[in-house]
Amino acid sequence: MERKVVFPQKLLPYLLLAPQIAITLVFFFWPAGQAIWMSTLLQDPLGFSVQFVGLENFQAVLQDPAYLATMQRTFLFSFGVTALSMIPALLLAVMADRVVRGATAYKTILVIPYAIAPAVAGALWLFLFQPSIGTIAYPLRLIGIDWNPRIDGTDAMIVVLIASAWKQIGYNFLFFLAGLQSIPKSLIEAAAIDGAREIRRFWTIVFPLLSPTTFFLLVVNLTYAFFDTFGVIHAVTQGGPGKSTEVLIYKAWYDGLIAQDLGRSSAQAVILMFIVIGLTVIQFRYIERKVHY
Amino acid sequence: MHTRRTLLAAAAVAGLACSPALAQQARTPISMWIGVTGPAQEEIMRYAQEFNASQTQFEAKVEFRGQYPEQRAAAFAAFRAGNPPHIMQMFDAGTGDMFALPRATIPVSEVMQRAGVQFDPAGYIGPARGYYSRPDGTMNSLPFNVSTAVMFINDDIFTKAGLDPSKPPRTWPEVIAAANQIRERNAAECGFTTTWLAWTMLEQYSAIHDLPLSTEANGRGGLNAVLNFNDAPRARMIQTLVDASRNKAFQYGGRSNDANALFVAGTCAMLIQSSGGHAAIARDLKAKFSVAPMPFWPDVIAEPKNSIVGGASLWVFNAPNRSAEELRGVAQFLAFLARPETYVRFAKATGFLPATNAAFQTMQAEGFFQQNAGRDVPILQLTRGTPTANSSGYRFGRWTEIRDMYHEEVERALQGQQTAQAALDNTVRRGNDALRQFERSVGAAN
Repeated sequence: MERKVVFPQKLLPYLLLAPQIAITLVFFFWPAGQAIWMSTLLQDPLGFSVQFVGLENFQAVLQDPAYLATMQRTFLFSFGVTALSMIPALLLAVMADRVVRGATAYKTILVIPYAIAPAVAGALWLFLFQPSIGTIAYPLRLIGIDWNPRIDGTDAMIVVLIASAWKQIGYNFLFFLAGLQSIPKSLIEAAAIDGAREIRRFWTIVFPLLSPTTFFLLVVNLTYAFFDTFGVIHAVTQGGPGKSTEVLIYKAWYDGLIAQDLGRSSAQAVILMFIVIGLTVIQFRYIERKVHY
Repeated sequence: MHTRRTLLAAAAVAGLACSPALAQQARTPISMWIGVTGPAQEEIMRYAQEFNASQTQFEAKVEFRGQYPEQRAAAFAAFRAGNPPHIMQMFDAGTGDMFALPRATIPVSEVMQRAGVQFDPAGYIGPARGYYSRPDGTMNSLPFNVSTAVMFINDDIFTKAGLDPSKPPRTWPEVIAAANQIRERNAAECGFTTTWLAWTMLEQYSAIHDLPLSTEANGRGGLNAVLNFNDAPRARMIQTLVDASRNKAFQYGGRSNDANALFVAGTCAMLIQSSGGHAAIARDLKAKFSVAPMPFWPDVIAEPKNSIVGGASLWVFNAPNRSAEELRGVAQFLAFLARPETYVRFAKATGFLPATNAAFQTMQAEGFFQQNAGRDVPILQLTRGTPTANSSGYRFGRWTEIRDMYHEEVERALQGQQTAQAALDNTVRRGNDALRQFERSVGAAN
């Protein structure tokens, strides 16, 4: 059944591919290769002395209880952000799907947060939750909650979770809405005629048919939470108090840029790279099978 | 016809525009990266303009490249790429890293000597000279924004609480008593707070109580120094903060300068802060305030020692592509900044301290300290008594990171997750790991 187009030119496909390959080489393979090479070195901050130490940096990083605690925290944080950004997005999408008048306006408004830079989103929530003047923190105080993200690790985690998730809701909303609109209306109408109520229709028809979208968003959001939340954390808590909001990407940045320990920072970058490769493999394995374009 | 006339006109304009540009190109550019903001940054920018107007050979270009740590990272990356700025402003905590990598920089004394510019390190106030000089007296970097930690007091809140602002608390027991009274009478939401926790509660605290931070004369004796500040007097200070935070006699305000906001908003009655923050407090606080020395524990030391300098100094990078002409320009610009009149202006405008004895004497002679009560508190505290090995500063690699370890561990103690002693034990253990790693990394560099 499959028809193949065969080009008589042998060179053309390679030429057309060349820009993409060049970009991948320059922006991925080259820095990734450097990171791998640097992760095997011990060097002073200015590079006068460079010693090859093999896998010592990996050993040191993976044996550090603080690193392992940060890894555990990162997974909790990432799943938290994913849940907090996907569930409200799905809810909003289901509602928006039924709106007839002014649908575009609603959609536009809901997507705006996605266009905000992570650091700005962080600063916004920082102000809302600022213990003495924050618009949200003040009522919390009035009802007797001793709210202080500066010193309370749980409070700090809540702020970075909300700020990170909020930013992503618009993006998820768009995908869910597109997914909802591609579900054939006839299926839902048939179920309605059979007497299925709205909630039952959602769980037995809509949600299963949305699963490819949901899975795609799950992977995208996890990757976002792992890597792109740096700006929020840097702006709001700098990983503190204690280490209660330090995630892997923040620690790699800190050890490289502030502590100037390039070897251990690179080792962490390489570990992160393997995590994202793992996530991508899962994405391709499952999504390719389930998504029907 | 029309086109040709336009072209001619364009060429004429271009020619005119070129001549000043050419004159500017003949000047040798001198680049300096700084990491300060606010009044201090504006002042430095102004001095560069004045330097450029004062001569025709060199052009000083001052750039803000992010806060100190970011600026340092950018300068180090530029150094690795072979093209660092001529001059870099490096904060106090980074001094140890620079001393451990002497090939990266040219000592300021030598820069001046090579250019034949008169320069006398002995003219600098003792604590600044000691902090930035080698044992042989060679000054490695030029002290510029010199500060130390002092206590600011909101006079209005003191009066409201029935305290006398003209008799500020001198010791920690007095500070705690005053803070408790402020809370009991509800004169303010919080008694006292501090900025730069590790700098004030560990570094300054240890110096004025004559307690060592490590073996090897606080790291000046070698990179093999071992941190040992996990003792009872240091633990008591943390425990005091933990206890005082229960009734808000103390409120933690964050790691860096954030606590300053609590003071200028009138939330906290007392603030331990860099003297360099004076101008900003005077600008933002809507109340009368006074300045007092850092408190001490009378049962640990009867006569507190001098505190130590903070702030930053100016380093001259050594790079293969530097010409003798450029280094001459660097020397000229640094000499311009090091004139007593510049130091005096900078001190008056910001609250940083006059870095040289001559500048201090000029300010005294002008009657500046009579007219501006409290402005001499930091310099008197910095220069009181005879410095000991423990109050002559410190020199450690990776100290920026070790400060944050202290912050993290104390924050965990304030959250009730560990004891004050455990916070110090953990800081010392993690800090020593970092020192050993640094020692290994630079071992083969020199």
